[in-house]
Amino acid sequence: MRTIKLTLNGTSVSREIEDNRLLVEFLREDMKLTGTKESCGVGVCGACTVLLDGTPISACLALAVHADGRAVTTIEGIADGDRLHPLQESFLRHGGFQCGICTPGQILAAKALLDANPHPTRAEIQHWMMGNLCRCTGYYKIIESIAAAAGAE
Amino acid sequence: MVKAPDTLERADNSQGVRCRMVAASLSGKAVGQPVMRVDGIAKVTGRALYAGDVDLPDLLSGRCLRSPHPSARIVSINVGKAKALPGVRSVLTGADVPDTCYGRMCKDIPVLAKGVVRFVGEKVAAVAADTVEIAEAALELIDVEYAELPAVFSAEEAMRPTAPIIHPEAVEFVPGAAASIHGELSMYPPIPNVISRLRVRHGDAASALASAHKIFEHSFAVPSVHQGYIEPHTCLVAIGRDGLVDVWVANKGPHIARTHMAAAIGVQENRIRFNPVAIGGDFGGKGSLMDTLVCYYLARAAGRPVRMVMNSFEELTAGNPRHSASITLRTAVDPDARLLAIDARVIFNAGAYGGFVPVPTLHGGYGELAGAYRVPNCAIEVLRVYTNTVPCGHMRAPGAPQVTFAVESHIDMIAHALGLDPVEMRRRNAIAEGDLTPLGEKRRHLRCRETIDAGARAFGWDKPKSPGIGRGMSTYEHPPGNFGLSTVALTIGIDGRITLTLGSPDTGTGFHTIAAQLVAEHFAVSVDEVEIAQGDTLSSGFEAGASGQRLTTTIGQAIAAAADRMKQDLAALAAERLNCAPSDIGIGADGSFSAPGAMIDRRTLMGWAAERGKAPLTCQGENTPGRHSDRTSFVAHFAEVAVDRETGQVRLRRIVTAHDVGTVVNPITHQGQIEGGLIQAVGQAMSEQIVLKDGAVITAHLGDYKLPTAMDIAELETILLPGGGGTAPFSTTAIGEMSNVALPAAITNAVFDAVGVRLVELPISAEKVLEGLRAQASAA
Amino acid sequence: MVPFTYLEPASLDEALALLAEHGEDAKLIAGGTGLVNLMKQRLVRPDFVIGLRAIRALAGISEKDGLRIGALATIQSLEVSELVRRHAPLLAEACGHVATVRVRSMATLGGAMAHGDPNLDTPPALIAMDGQIVARTRRGERTIPVDRFFTGYFGTVLERDEIVTELLIPKQPAGSGTAFLKFLPATQDDYATVSVATRIALGADGTIREARVALGAAAMVPVRARMVEAALSGKASDEKTLGDAAPLVVDAIDPIADFRGSAEYKREMAVVHVRRALVEAAAKAKEAR
Repeated sequence: MRTIKLTLNGTSVSREIEDNRLLVEFLREDMKLTGTKESCGVGVCGACTVLLDGTPISACLALAVHADGRAVTTIEGIADGDRLHPLQESFLRHGGFQCGICTPGQILAAKALLDANPHPTRAEIQHWMMGNLCRCTGYYKIIESIAAAAGAE
Repeated sequence: MVKAPDTLERADNSQGVRCRMVAASLSGKAVGQPVMRVDGIAKVTGRALYAGDVDLPDLLSGRCLRSPHPSARIVSINVGKAKALPGVRSVLTGADVPDTCYGRMCKDIPVLAKGVVRFVGEKVAAVAADTVEIAEAALELIDVEYAELPAVFSAEEAMRPTAPIIHPEAVEFVPGAAASIHGELSMYPPIPNVISRLRVRHGDAASALASAHKIFEHSFAVPSVHQGYIEPHTCLVAIGRDGLVDVWVANKGPHIARTHMAAAIGVQENRIRFNPVAIGGDFGGKGSLMDTLVCYYLARAAGRPVRMVMNSFEELTAGNPRHSASITLRTAVDPDARLLAIDARVIFNAGAYGGFVPVPTLHGGYGELAGAYRVPNCAIEVLRVYTNTVPCGHMRAPGAPQVTFAVESHIDMIAHALGLDPVEMRRRNAIAEGDLTPLGEKRRHLRCRETIDAGARAFGWDKPKSPGIGRGMSTYEHPPGNFGLSTVALTIGIDGRITLTLGSPDTGTGFHTIAAQLVAEHFAVSVDEVEIAQGDTLSSGFEAGASGQRLTTTIGQAIAAAADRMKQDLAALAAERLNCAPSDIGIGADGSFSAPGAMIDRRTLMGWAAERGKAPLTCQGENTPGRHSDRTSFVAHFAEVAVDRETGQVRLRRIVTAHDVGTVVNPITHQGQIEGGLIQAVGQAMSEQIVLKDGAVITAHLGDYKLPTAMDIAELETILLPGGGGTAPFSTTAIGEMSNVALPAAITNAVFDAVGVRLVELPISAEKVLEGLRAQASAA
Repeated sequence: MVPFTYLEPASLDEALALLAEHGEDAKLIAGGTGLVNLMKQRLVRPDFVIGLRAIRALAGISEKDGLRIGALATIQSLEVSELVRRHAPLLAEACGHVATVRVRSMATLGGAMAHGDPNLDTPPALIAMDGQIVARTRRGERTIPVDRFFTGYFGTVLERDEIVTELLIPKQPAGSGTAFLKFLPATQDDYATVSVATRIALGADGTIREARVALGAAAMVPVRARMVEAALSGKASDEKTLGDAAPLVVDAIDPIADFRGSAEYKREMAVVHVRRALVEAAAKAKEAR
């Protein structure tokens, strides 16, 4: 057991955890932030994408201790109160999701992209988003949602 | 890039005035509008509650020990050490659970293996513990001694007289589901390991073949693929002090699943409650109870609620993927390349258990065989066969992608052999008004040729192309489903707001949003005024759930019935308030009620009614299942590929998909169904395959089982031909299973066009293409 | 996930001491994309996991007689680093092909070496650039050429108590061009069916002064195709010459048959991609002159 301190969605958090706790377990079970999903468990599908100091990572492969001293952003942390993040708004408007299970990961990955590259080309969007699998949409509307959000900014 | 219908009012020549009236009567507020999804905000904020997000006090984690052998006798199981591990709350083996087997039709799936295992991945023992880690550690402490038995992996081998019999005991099955099958069905016929044999005949194929101008025979193979939903199978079971069994499960049809669970565990249906949760993708794969029964027995043994989540290894090795199939087609043509007869033999490998599907055989295995073509004589035999491999289930248009790959390759091969352009071959044989389907059914309003033409035009089929580039096409037809009961309850509250209570989750297709739009349309209000409530199985009426692209049609009928009743009740209320006869009441475009010289809006009316104890108002509505739909839809796909002659690599460059559609309720979700289905088909065509080695799945995680990514999609143009329609209210039809079926053949046909290599097996692999090129070179 | 005790040394010396103390029972963790997967599948069960992330000495990229890259540099940081793009464009290119942005953001270059997976994209790139690995124990430090680092399937020359500290990329020869090809016939997020990294340096007369050819996913270890290199030395850099040398790669490789291809197919694809990579590198070298 050890204590980790991190900034979680802008708020300081201090928690005692097992050494082998995965970040996805810490978020979903200890912090009850179930917007972060777990699916493939091997870092491929992207359902568990969260931002660590602004960088997208697989929470299913990250040790929770590695979040110690750092900032973690989950889907619960990107809206401004009741005001949705422009990407959330854009995914809604352009049908960038269907079943919704991959959506938190898609939106966080897209946020990291637009933070680093506010006006990506379509090819840059595809390359960056390649790691976030979606079985419902065929990706077209996800790419459209991100491109529209980038245009709106 | 969607070319939408010009306008919904656009005249439909064959339907004339009727259709125009329906379209013109739309309010412009709901049906036809790109409204945002009713579950949208919950999903983009991460607040949507899926089964895995449900938290309960004292919740335990359940895990299963699975068989490493494809066929073995269980000599002994010792769970002593596992039970002694601190934190372990219950351990079960086959000996601890009843003998009842589960199945949606064939009752052949034990809760836990009883004495034998029949595939690698079969559940042998289960543990509930305080944490997943403890449960997994406990699994390692369970000693199982197996005596290996002969195993058989291919369906053809399993049917041989010497094959090991996988289910030697008679399997009980519910005959009900077989009743709707037309043709000659035998369940468990006297052929080794065969679950079902269906023979469907129309005309006299044998005579036609015997006297034909030319006969073509080709064989095809399609491997098993996984539904690929991102949410794995998940369930929670909690047994209350009063004995009420609460279930949260990723299942698309909770009412049916509840009935099956009640039968399996011997608890009355009204003592089991399936609670509403969001579903993270279904694609046909989430119709079963999967781990729910073992989860129930673990919860009962532990006296605490239990959650079970299949990890992705379990999903790929022991989910219920699409059946693999081998298909042989023999077709007779006349000198004008007209199809005279088709003789088809389709063999589906069902894996070790048949109970994951609710039907005797896969409907797509025969129902749409050559459905887009005029074939006067047809003889089809479909076999479903047990093997010692992963039990298979349903996946989006069950059976159809396998059979359509064969038919649409076969037609292309015949066209090339006859020196005919593939589009011309299809146009010449396309079913048209007045023709019977190959199975002898009558359908109206057939627009196959128009759909092909619209696609070919947009694609530029006749335009010149560069070397190494190939173009191919394929078609498919399928009617909307009109089977299974849909029940809804419509409530108008004292504030005038409308709530629709449904008994089934939105698996992701947008069906809750479609339902809200249909309700809003009936009352000429905006969708914002309609609330969708997904009830649990005790509080909601029966809903058969997503299946066979039925929901817009069936729930549309149920909503229309409820809305009609509601309008009558409201008119009666308004008449009472306005002191006139109900027949004098008119409903305005804004939903208000008027009588000569008086008017009242819905909210005021309901407030008035509430004071008199007459509100809220609730009306039930049901559909009329089983009524034969004589309308169908067509799709034509066009694909362009580039083939690298040195590596065999095929790049999919461009897709044009043309759809014969009815009223589009929501252009966003409609297009979403098309795009998502197409890319699933791209996966089946280009990269997906459950690979077995000695009966064990070796593509056992998403690093090795390759789903298409955002980099694997092609330039896409969608053409919608407006004016089609079904028998459903507002002239809607179905889209859910239209785009995912036929595309693979368009791609392999394009590969043939590019380099002359014919692929008769999926998926396309660069290596196979290169082998084909080599064979060509050595033949030359 | 298997249970373990996590230790997080603040300095390299402390890490070396911990590793020396726990030896067989310990595993080092940097990005974790390799180790955590193995521990989740219960295939690796260390009692102690030693986290390197706090060790400053292992971070950073600097230019000094080439590039010195701290073992903890992430793949993503290398893909976008201006220094790397300028001095080792082949590495930046290879990094851009690694898995997905999430894996690139977590995985480190030192970790990719120590993991010993023959299917990775970065080892062939480092081999083609004459890269070296600096590793340290409490007994001292050694420098190992990357092409001698891998000993077998997931095996390296690293001792139990040894830590990869730095990757060295010498100043690349003047007039050289490079290419990295990752053959992905199924989907774009996959292990390579075969990957090839090449570097060609041209002399003043336009002949090949020196060639480097390395492959991933072509054997039990990342390999260097010395026969191809030797055959090209001093030769013209035309397509015919390059194409004639490419088939010599088959003696250097021993591909494993799997669902990404038969061994025979992978051998053929190695030849095709070696040729294509050589042609691309030669064209870039001509441009660079």
